[in-house]
Amino acid sequence: MHTHAHPDHRQGRRSWLWSVGGGIGGVALARLLCRDGMLGADDSSRSELPHHAPRARSVIQLFCAGAKSQIDTFDHKPELERLQGKPFDASGKLRFFASRPGKFQASYWKFRRHGECGRPVSDLLPHLATKVDEMAFVHSMVSRSAVHGPAMFLAGSGFSRPGFPTMGSWVAYGLGSEADDLPAFVVLPDSRGVPPSGPANWGAGFLPAVYQGTTFSAATGRAAIADLFPPEDPALTPASEAAARSFLAKINRRHAAVRPGDTELEARITSYELAARLQLSAPEVTELSGESRATKALYGIDEKLTDDFGRRCLLARRLVERGVRFVQVWCGADNTSPPRANWDAHEDVRRNHGLHGKIFDRPAAALLEDLRARGLLDQTLVIATSEFGRMPAAEQGKGRDHNPHAFTTWMAGGGIRGGVSHGASDEFSFKVAESPSSIHDIHATALHLLGLDHERLTFYHNGVERRLTDVHGHVLAKLLVGP
Amino acid sequence: MADERRIVPVGSGVTPGYSTKNGGFFSGDVDNGVLVMKRVSILAQLALLACVVKTVAQEPTWWSLRPLARPALADVDPLWCTSDIDRFVLRRLRARGLSPSPPATRSAWIRRVTVDLTGLPPTTAELAAFLDDDSSDAFAKVVDRLLASPRHGERWARHWLDVVHYADTHGFERDKMRPNAWPYRDWVIRSLNDDVTYDRFLREQLAGDVINPGDPDCVAASGFLGAGPWDFVGHAETKSPVLNRKARADELDDIVATVATSMLGLTVHCARCHDHKFDEVPQKDYYRLTAVFAGIRRGDRELRPGWAAERERRIGALRRRIRETAGEIRRLEGRGLDLAAIVGGGDGFTAGEKAVGVDPRSGERSRGKVGFLERVEVNRFVPSELPFIDGLVIPDGGVRGARRVPISSTGLVVSVGDTSGGTWDHVQSGPVASQDTTVLDGVDFDAAGHSLLGLHANKAITFDMAEMRARHEGFRKARFRATAGYGGKGKGTSADFLVFVDAELRASAYGIDHASAGVAIDVGIGRDERFLTLMATDGGDGISHDQVFFGDPRIVADRSRSSTDERTARALVALARDRDALRAQVSELPEARKVYAGVSSNPATTYVLQRGDPESPADEVRAGVPSCVDAVPGRFGDEVLSEGARRVALAEWIVDSAHPLTWRVIVNRVWHWHFGRGIVDTPSDFGRGGSRPTHPELLDVLAMTLLERGASLKDLHRRIVLSSVYRQACSGNRRGESIDGDNRLLWRMSRRRIEAEVVRDAILATSGVLELRMGGPGYRDFRYVEKYAPIYEHVTADRPELWRRSVYRFVVRSVPERFMATLDCPNPSSFTPVRRTTTTALQALVLLNNPFVISQAKLFAERVEKSVEDVDGRVDLAYRLAFARRPDDEERALASELVRAHGLFHLCRMLFNASEFLYVE
Repeated sequence: MHTHAHPDHRQGRRSWLWSVGGGIGGVALARLLCRDGMLGADDSSRSELPHHAPRARSVIQLFCAGAKSQIDTFDHKPELERLQGKPFDASGKLRFFASRPGKFQASYWKFRRHGECGRPVSDLLPHLATKVDEMAFVHSMVSRSAVHGPAMFLAGSGFSRPGFPTMGSWVAYGLGSEADDLPAFVVLPDSRGVPPSGPANWGAGFLPAVYQGTTFSAATGRAAIADLFPPEDPALTPASEAAARSFLAKINRRHAAVRPGDTELEARITSYELAARLQLSAPEVTELSGESRATKALYGIDEKLTDDFGRRCLLARRLVERGVRFVQVWCGADNTSPPRANWDAHEDVRRNHGLHGKIFDRPAAALLEDLRARGLLDQTLVIATSEFGRMPAAEQGKGRDHNPHAFTTWMAGGGIRGGVSHGASDEFSFKVAESPSSIHDIHATALHLLGLDHERLTFYHNGVERRLTDVHGHVLAKLLVGP
Repeated sequence: MADERRIVPVGSGVTPGYSTKNGGFFSGDVDNGVLVMKRVSILAQLALLACVVKTVAQEPTWWSLRPLARPALADVDPLWCTSDIDRFVLRRLRARGLSPSPPATRSAWIRRVTVDLTGLPPTTAELAAFLDDDSSDAFAKVVDRLLASPRHGERWARHWLDVVHYADTHGFERDKMRPNAWPYRDWVIRSLNDDVTYDRFLREQLAGDVINPGDPDCVAASGFLGAGPWDFVGHAETKSPVLNRKARADELDDIVATVATSMLGLTVHCARCHDHKFDEVPQKDYYRLTAVFAGIRRGDRELRPGWAAERERRIGALRRRIRETAGEIRRLEGRGLDLAAIVGGGDGFTAGEKAVGVDPRSGERSRGKVGFLERVEVNRFVPSELPFIDGLVIPDGGVRGARRVPISSTGLVVSVGDTSGGTWDHVQSGPVASQDTTVLDGVDFDAAGHSLLGLHANKAITFDMAEMRARHEGFRKARFRATAGYGGKGKGTSADFLVFVDAELRASAYGIDHASAGVAIDVGIGRDERFLTLMATDGGDGISHDQVFFGDPRIVADRSRSSTDERTARALVALARDRDALRAQVSELPEARKVYAGVSSNPATTYVLQRGDPESPADEVRAGVPSCVDAVPGRFGDEVLSEGARRVALAEWIVDSAHPLTWRVIVNRVWHWHFGRGIVDTPSDFGRGGSRPTHPELLDVLAMTLLERGASLKDLHRRIVLSSVYRQACSGNRRGESIDGDNRLLWRMSRRRIEAEVVRDAILATSGVLELRMGGPGYRDFRYVEKYAPIYEHVTADRPELWRRSVYRFVVRSVPERFMATLDCPNPSSFTPVRRTTTTALQALVLLNNPFVISQAKLFAERVEKSVEDVDGRVDLAYRLAFARRPDDEERALASELVRAHGLFHLCRMLFNASEFLYVE
């Protein structure tokens, strides 16, 4: 059974600080603040972290919003070619999310075998195909909902309802940041917009707000983070800024001085110092001009289709390089107006995935290659997933409907063994045939590689010691390197 | 069969269920979208059995389920102790060798109690009055004043809305607005201000609509049942019945969890999939509670039944008279030139064809309905060769109408308001593609005898009067008459239309939507005026439904001053006046107000769902209450109760004065909100998963006193804030810190950072612009764009309607407002019994740099500069406004230096960032 919270279990860090120092120096406090970006979290359940020796230091999550088709990418189904054009459901009883099933529809792209492992990959993803020996596949993913909203919540937080913390915030809560001047959890949304369900995809749910993802905008430099600097205003000059901040520091210190021992007030002062550091580090990390021409070309930067995703993949590398714990990179925005700015190919798979495959393929492959070349891949876990998959039957002739019964997720780096797979879908990739897996298994595996036991990383909320994996989750041991 | 992969390791945290129906232990797993149960191995069963046995062996009656008891009074220190509260706290302190702290200064106390009871800092006048008041009841007078203030209900409603996770949108992927959620929020504010008894407060939220269906206030209370998130796609959009059932089960779960956690501190929802792990709540009890709400579905309901029908009847009668009057006007003034006919290919007298239009990209005739226009070039005037048509343009006003839009071949330009660019459809004779309605005020302008010009935003067409005058007699002086309206169906999306004559705006309407009445247009066109431009724009909120149209758009001869036909002219004027008066009557009819709430329907049979899966129903259950509270039996009778009767029975059970949970839970909440921590520090969980009380006897005394004194929450507030415990200073001492560093025993008051809402309200109050208007629809500090998934883009609160108190914020679930969220304003989709406070670098940035803070600091500086001339005086006033005290000499010197070097604004901005501003002690 999991340990169960008792009142003194939840005592703040506050009393502890008092007991070690009476007053506490700025240096020690700064270290505490930086690790979490905050002070005063409930943390005794985390005193023993990590639970075991970590394999990975950070995570980059590539999320293909809108639901990428497994059938047209990594889950090769020759049987579909044989049945092409025959009715999928002769009984006429089946009902998918948005439609009744049409005819059997094989992959729109030809599959070939790649790498030493010889895994089949479709021609939609020629660059990623060269990396299959780094990648481990889970072909038996199932979701609990065929609706984007709940399925996004599930993929992000392990619950299909809103209000629960997402994986990045759990990791930030468990491990904090290694950087002393950057947040632990950074989000890089698609420049076309936020994904279905919006910022809930990087929300902290009931965890303290500090653990929510910090969004870096598409803009670089001073605009990288909202409110990093004040709006342009003639009244605000570097001199006035320095004078005002110095005044604030003085009055806050005087205020704290007559209230000795209150670490909260000390933390407030330190938070302004940390903010000043973030004002230096955030513009620096987002500035890509120092990267070599070859690196930029590798990611497809400055080329129309790959520029946006490529920049964000490169930024993800720069962020983990500097110690950011969790980076979420989005490929796909919300369903707003046609044409869809995500992978939700109801109308036309060839057109939709043709576009999104090009957007995704080169930058994602470049990320693996670049991380490998810099010696970072072994300590960086890369996870690529969708909220669910797509159906083996056609929708309206050329599209595919939502399929929560079978889809594919892949992982690489950070202690993942390349070239292997777990589970299998049936002969059509309609349902799972072997070793069904849920997002909880992916979450459990990711936490495991980070040195965290998903059953012991808990937070009390509303009657329950909550976990990222709810009451589910198994580490997918078969996909891990070594013993 | 044991599934090897799924065998549960002994001692692991995996917690499969025990099924009484099938006997044995199972692990649950998702397979093809449904949960399936797999029998687990013998070893794992033994491990599980051990857990179950441990649970069963726990103490027989958990503390919170025992009857309320009045313990013997502790007789300690009569000088310090003013009430039972002080006596019980002091006794615990003494037992641990602690003593209370000295009282806070008067100015610290009034700031504390004012923020606590009203959510606003005290004004300088309030502070001065209190400091000057030497009377023995000075403290009590302050408390009575604060409790009588309407600000009190606004402050405490926010606490309750946290507990029930209220918001103004659905949440989930298609996060649609709930424009009628606010009557419930107003009901909470009003009830707390009126100090309705706590039992009534609960009863009305559960069943006010049943107990008193004729009272709109009671019906508004049932907004409680609609407070939580709701999955539009799962309920309404998907074609899959499996997904519908899942969404429905989640909706019921949310209602049950809201009721049980907010009112009872019972985490019943933990028993949805299996018997509760810690508390005596079998899975069946969860479904018995679910059955109470089996007939409740979330949606809009009328605040007064029949109101809408009565309104419709009266509108119908008025519209008939409007139609008759308009018919008479048309008869008298002759038919004139029909602009729709001109667009449709006629010459104005002869009719054009329907479904014929003009392409705004080419100025050429087109046929058939179109749709979204690709490849448009905005703000380029496209001349047309068609008769009487000068040309067309797709206007893009850009931000705040900064762009100039050309509207004639002679180079006339206008500037227009926000638009989001792009357009649908051609200018059309007859309705455009997918137009929802062609009816305004009961007249169908698509019917025979009428005409309709469809102008889907963003688009404008300019007619050339010179050409008309050349071709037809009698229009030297003319009038343009039409009825304009909105043909789209989207809720929450609206459009604007504008009528220009030679680039001068002669008629317009902004924000018309599918609920708007028709707008009568009657515009004079002088003999020298040439261009008549009709324009539709989207107001910046997207174009998809903005199907503006003009009914019977006609150019008629202006006879109003013609002496030859004076009688007709007079009659026309009188008729027009009648018509306008009738239209005014329509728009003045009060809206049939609605509330987003629980809507009653015939309840379906409720089944226990195995593993919580709606596809695996097991035993049927009847409505009932959790069996663990055996002190109060539920009165659900032997018959199957009607929908409403079930909720009344539950309400009566909850508010029973013998209920061990209800009364303890509320006094603990009130205590929590005053001290920052409850006597039980898990205010929504009084079960074994929660904490035990630090002062169990005090908790019972508070609960019993509440009951004895008529369940008045204001009385409870008064007793708490006038206690010596509450009056203590914040300052620590070494002994206290070493024995009770977390101050659980209350040997001092705890310093607290004010919540996001209080920060925002305090900034507005300090800068002097806080709008105190109460109630009604929330302020919308965002730009809304109607899309498949609606888009909310927050804007800086830079105008008075956005400067209302934060409790009136239109709360969007999916997109947190950055300033509020960074300051720990909780996710409105999760229950928030306790606000968590963090201290982060991002908070520092948002308080320093957010445009709201910058603009408010400027207003704050203006306010001070207006009243005082000299720098020292300004520094003094700024300090008094922000901190309710004067600066000391050193502060004055530091501040004056900053002001002299850079200006007062910088001081004001930093005062908003000062710890003294952000903390209450």
